[in-house]
Amino acid sequence: MRRWLLWLLPGVLAGCQMTPTTLPVAEPAPSAECRWPAGPGDDLPRVITALEAEGFVVRQTDASLGLVSADRARTTIYHDNGIERLPGIGGFLSGGSGGRLGAGVMLGLGGVGPGIDEATRAERVSVVVDERALRVTRDIRLIDWRGDLRESRSASDADFCRDLRRAIRAVPAGEAS
Amino acid sequence: MTRALLILLLTAWLAGCATPAPSQPRELQLAAPPETTLREAVQLLMERGYVIRHADGDLGRLDAVLARMPGYGVSLRLSPGDEGGSRVEAIATRGGRALPPGLLDPLLTDLQARLGLLP
Repeated sequence: MRRWLLWLLPGVLAGCQMTPTTLPVAEPAPSAECRWPAGPGDDLPRVITALEAEGFVVRQTDASLGLVSADRARTTIYHDNGIERLPGIGGFLSGGSGGRLGAGVMLGLGGVGPGIDEATRAERVSVVVDERALRVTRDIRLIDWRGDLRESRSASDADFCRDLRRAIRAVPAGEAS
Repeated sequence: MTRALLILLLTAWLAGCATPAPSQPRELQLAAPPETTLREAVQLLMERGYVIRHADGDLGRLDAVLARMPGYGVSLRLSPGDEGGSRVEAIATRGGRALPPGLLDPLLTDLQARLGLLP
């Protein structure tokens, strides 16, 4: 019995059955800037107007919960850092005659480039507003030109939330559509 | 002999990768109305960084996602329960597959705490 196979077995089984032991939370946690006290005139229409002004497309709202979910997609450049651009290696074997067998291997290098592709950067955001406070969460996914998900991460960061807060404040209260 | 062992090993590997049976949702009775429960659940999930993709107070539905590979989701279904309370069904997924219902217990305990239902 090949001993290495026995060593491989638990590893493979463990990989297949991997289940988290706790329900994950965002890491890093949403920035403190992503929750702020509601000011006068802060309501759902104002938030929706601000999101649309920032280029988001509203996907769903619920007025009773004060909730809006929105998406924004942009074309971006994806740097794969050469990870998926390993040189191509080809090989061939050729037969011989007269009792001789010739074999050869040919190595070919190709596909070595700067590793840049177009990709879609998709943001998903949810904002909930009530009489006390506004709370924002966001994530970003990077989808390459083949439609494969390349990156997926929580992005409830201070810069985004500060900008969104500014955009909401810039909407005249009571004039939101 | 070696071939037979290899076949056995291959079978074991595939069994390890077999899709587990779909988990049942975690069910809970809470002494708070569905509207209040849903409102607190939205706050709780957003506090943990989840993005709410869909929530409807009238239908008592909430779907939230966490963008950590391969993609996590939490779905809640609420309906009126006994004596003005609510009945909650919760399910968590990872990569589209249901996770064991026990993983939702800490979240549901926190939800009860937020609702002031814990001693």
